[in-house]
Amino acid sequence: MRKKNKRARQIRLFLFFGLLLTLFIILIVSTVGRQEFNAPHKLALEIIGTAQYGITRVTGSFKNGWQNYTALINVREENARLREELQKHKAVNNEYREAVATNVRLAKLLEMKETLPAPTLTAEIIGVDPSQWFKTIIIDRGSSDGAQAGMPAVTVEGVVGQVTNTSPHFAKILLATDPNSALDGLIQETRVQGIVKGGGATFHMEYVLKNNEVAKGDRIVTSGIGGVFPKGVPIGTVSKVEKGGRGMFQEIEIQPSADFSQLEHLIIVMKKDPLAK
Amino acid sequence: MVLSFLFLSGTILLILQTTLLHSLPEWFGRPNLLFLFIVFLGTYLDVYKGAVLALLFGLIMDIFSGVFLGLHPVIYLVLFFLLQVISRHLAINESIQQIPVVALSYLFTASSIFIFTSILTPESRLYWAWGNEILQVLILSVICIPFFNFFHWLTTVFDSRNANNPFRRAKTGNRYRM
Repeated sequence: MRKKNKRARQIRLFLFFGLLLTLFIILIVSTVGRQEFNAPHKLALEIIGTAQYGITRVTGSFKNGWQNYTALINVREENARLREELQKHKAVNNEYREAVATNVRLAKLLEMKETLPAPTLTAEIIGVDPSQWFKTIIIDRGSSDGAQAGMPAVTVEGVVGQVTNTSPHFAKILLATDPNSALDGLIQETRVQGIVKGGGATFHMEYVLKNNEVAKGDRIVTSGIGGVFPKGVPIGTVSKVEKGGRGMFQEIEIQPSADFSQLEHLIIVMKKDPLAK
Repeated sequence: MVLSFLFLSGTILLILQTTLLHSLPEWFGRPNLLFLFIVFLGTYLDVYKGAVLALLFGLIMDIFSGVFLGLHPVIYLVLFFLLQVISRHLAINESIQQIPVVALSYLFTASSIFIFTSILTPESRLYWAWGNEILQVLILSVICIPFFNFFHWLTTVFDSRNANNPFRRAKTGNRYRM
């Protein structure tokens, strides 16, 4: 009797692990193979994203309250100085407005509609990648706002990354500093092109021949090749150049223009026809 | 009951890790609480419940971390089964033995992510930062004992079948009473 029970237990255990192994194999094949961000993924992003949004809002209001309180010191002097500056900027702004109006009118006349800036979408960062290996963020804009996979994300300082997955109200962005990220860039002064890859905290520019002139302090901007990023968006400045190694190419390290540790808001450049998916 | 409670706890830990803990300064370190929770599941929970939860948290982690779907479920399940095997053969439920288990588990997980990612995208250059890894191991080693004790106590409270549960309804000694 005891032997029979033991055998039944062994069979149950064997069946359980067999089933688990089968599920495991199905899972690996289906998820790693297709790499599809399907409905359950979107649902989980919606639910957890809402909670992230709530917590970010609550902590943000506490942080704002404290900053407002500390900012009260010396506020009168600063107010007077800012009013004075505002008057100057108003005058300059009027001139710029006139110049922009002329520019738009001339562009229309030349039928250069494609050179007009693409519509943008501002977004707030509500979650950051929990692991140390990847550099992704979650924003409070999704497909219902017009965000789509493949759209570039920038700040006024420079390139931030690219939208990889979306749910109706949230989206995931792969930061340009992630090792899996790559974008076309060029050196603004010399117009030498290369591929800018993420290197954790910095960027690396690859496939730049050793006979090309690159110096420390050179500015790198997006080349516009590939159609993902608009042309001329700042990427960073060259911080290190090495030509000593083997091979045809030099090793270039770039200090990013955007401060990735201080990111709070970003701009999604919306396009009529995003490249990815 | 325990399963839903643990699922909710893990989800809250993930939300805290991606929002509040990120505001901590970088030099201070940001503890990987969800990883610690997976180690807790591997050492304290039975194989059926634990495997389901490890798989679910792996799938959720894929949404919020990295670019490859399927990476975290695979690594978390392997880690979970390794911890199950270790906890059956070694007395790691004692507090002091948990520190090396957590440290080794973290290094195993980090190296697995590194190796898998290098295989999946050989063109991308991953950087193994010993400084960050050692800092994370130190933080996890320091907080693991109070973390495990806290969740062990909570699971006892939420487990209605456990005799140590203080909220469990006391039964009378009369076994024949209807």
